[in-house]
Amino acid sequence: MTAARALVRLVLILIVAVALTSRAEDVISGRWEGTAQIPDNELSVVIDLAQENGAWVGSIIIPGLGIKGVSLNDIRVQPPDVNFAVKGGPGIELKLRLDANNKLAGNLEQAGNRAPTTLQKTGPPQVEYPPRNTPVAKELEGEWKGDYEMLGNTRHVSIKFANHPDGAAADFVVVGRKHNVLPVDLVTQESDLVTVDSHEMGFSFEGRLRDGKLTGAIHQGAIETPLVLVRAK
Amino acid sequence: MRKKISRIVVVLGTLCAATAIDAQSMFRGDPMHSGTYAGPAPRQFHRVKWKFPTGDRVISSPVFKDNVIYFGGDDGNVYAVNAATGHQIWKRVTNGPVPATPAVVNGTVYVGSYDGKFYAFDAQTGALKWKFATGGERRFEAKGLHGMQPKDQTIADPFDTFLSSPVVANGAVYFGSGDGNLYALDSATGDLRWKFKTGDVVHASPALAEGVLFFGSWDSYFYAVDATTGKEKWRFHGGEDPTMHNQVGFQSSPAVVNGTVYTGCRDANLYALDAATGKEKWRFFNDLSWVITSPAVADGKVFFATSDSSLYHVVDASSGKPIVRQQGKTYMFSSPAVAGDVVFIGVLNGTLEARDTKTGDLLWDFQVEKSKKNKGWVLTSDGKFNAPFLFHSNWREAPLVATDQQILVGGIYSSPLVVNGVIYFGSADGFLYALE
Repeated sequence: MTAARALVRLVLILIVAVALTSRAEDVISGRWEGTAQIPDNELSVVIDLAQENGAWVGSIIIPGLGIKGVSLNDIRVQPPDVNFAVKGGPGIELKLRLDANNKLAGNLEQAGNRAPTTLQKTGPPQVEYPPRNTPVAKELEGEWKGDYEMLGNTRHVSIKFANHPDGAAADFVVVGRKHNVLPVDLVTQESDLVTVDSHEMGFSFEGRLRDGKLTGAIHQGAIETPLVLVRAK
Repeated sequence: MRKKISRIVVVLGTLCAATAIDAQSMFRGDPMHSGTYAGPAPRQFHRVKWKFPTGDRVISSPVFKDNVIYFGGDDGNVYAVNAATGHQIWKRVTNGPVPATPAVVNGTVYVGSYDGKFYAFDAQTGALKWKFATGGERRFEAKGLHGMQPKDQTIADPFDTFLSSPVVANGAVYFGSGDGNLYALDSATGDLRWKFKTGDVVHASPALAEGVLFFGSWDSYFYAVDATTGKEKWRFHGGEDPTMHNQVGFQSSPAVVNGTVYTGCRDANLYALDAATGKEKWRFFNDLSWVITSPAVADGKVFFATSDSSLYHVVDASSGKPIVRQQGKTYMFSSPAVAGDVVFIGVLNGTLEARDTKTGDLLWDFQVEKSKKNKGWVLTSDGKFNAPFLFHSNWREAPLVATDQQILVGGIYSSPLVVNGVIYFGSADGFLYALE
């Protein structure tokens, strides 16, 4: 065999391998529906997986756990293996493999527990995307402070807004008995309505920017407490 | 002379043994609720001596009298079981669950039921001697309780698990009620002697010392009341929580030792109060975690545990200074029982723990079968409550259903009883266990 022939054969093999992988990846892209067999609690699971600009994106729905359109993290598609985690919430991971019947089968894992899971493709992907941060008005940039009462104790709140090319960000700090730096998922401004949400901690602030004050309320679960923030000096 | 001395020793020994056995016939061992039990305690687990099945959860704590174990069941029955064999001697049905601990005095078993009645049964036969109708039972309730939605809806507290257990002395039986009263009845006839009104549910069990009853109410006050007259001697104000009603109320039952009252509170404190004046001696704050357990007091130390933070504590009885702090696996509502150098406590993940009194180190534990099966992933693989998985919604009945699921792993709310080296306790799996 000449060197030229060997090179042609290698190229052909690579083309076939890439084509097969692409086909497998095409198979994996889509909406998958099935169940996770938790003892005494069979959970319905719906997963949407798609490729965008060469990267995998996805979201998940689990009706029994209040999970709807939550983003997937750490998506690793190496056919036939498909692994990913569910962002936030109870810490769910899925470790699946595409089987000969084109089903994704494996385990749903959470808190060290493991449930057999089987999913079947039911159609094209319907990936949900989380709401995005919006820019905030120039007059909102900087630090705002205010106090509220909870269980007879004063809580000091500080929110510091900054604009970035992909939307605004905020540092959200609540100081009571402890100094709590809350992880912020979402910052939006629509007209004069400003929201800062720490979904993970169950804390959010919503207020209107009027007369140089942010007048609104802090929400902690179902509890709503009035809060007025003024610009920090 | 030697013979005389040994005879005196034998007589004293018999008297002490009799006192110890008597001290196992009401909640927390005695009227002061010290939570201490005489006799040996196993530092190693050997076997399940027997387990007794009932029709529903067993939240009640067992008591012992004349080789018989008495306890209540959430199936509505009051049970008498042979302590040696685990065979049923009798059962008597009430019209509601019985998550209260009976008291057995002078051949009578006293206990309350969720049917709003208080009962006196013959200890030998179970025959009804008398029953007394209170103003009715109910659980603590509040709008927007624990942050549940809808926040303007009144919700009954799923963690208000126990009913008040009676204390019997001087011809009277004393107990609290969901109608907000502490009752004093004639123990022979069931006639009302007096009742003392508080502002909310009384499910804590009164302790009695020096002719004074000590108990807390869900109205956020802790009371000292004269046992003869029913007149208030003093009251102590615990924490308030008008927003979520989460950090309020005395669910823990007090222990009274050497002139000091020790009580846990839902405001996350363990309090030490002067029994004569009600003045606070010290408090031990538990970072917003409830103290539901009734403290045990032995050798100058207070033993207690917390709910959400799941911590087991031993503190100095005179100063409140921490001595031992051990991280448990999940909530503890069961009250610690101290026997010799071992302390026993039930955990809501369906485990009974035996710990060394000095170090708090785990000596052994026993997990009920239902807990091992972990249906619905109530527990993580290492035995903690899988809270993010269960409590994913605060809307409608979701938190209540989640709480019920937790109970189904066989949570041990019941406080252990130690008699002659055998540990008796109930589980939410529906069984009463005897371990040795």
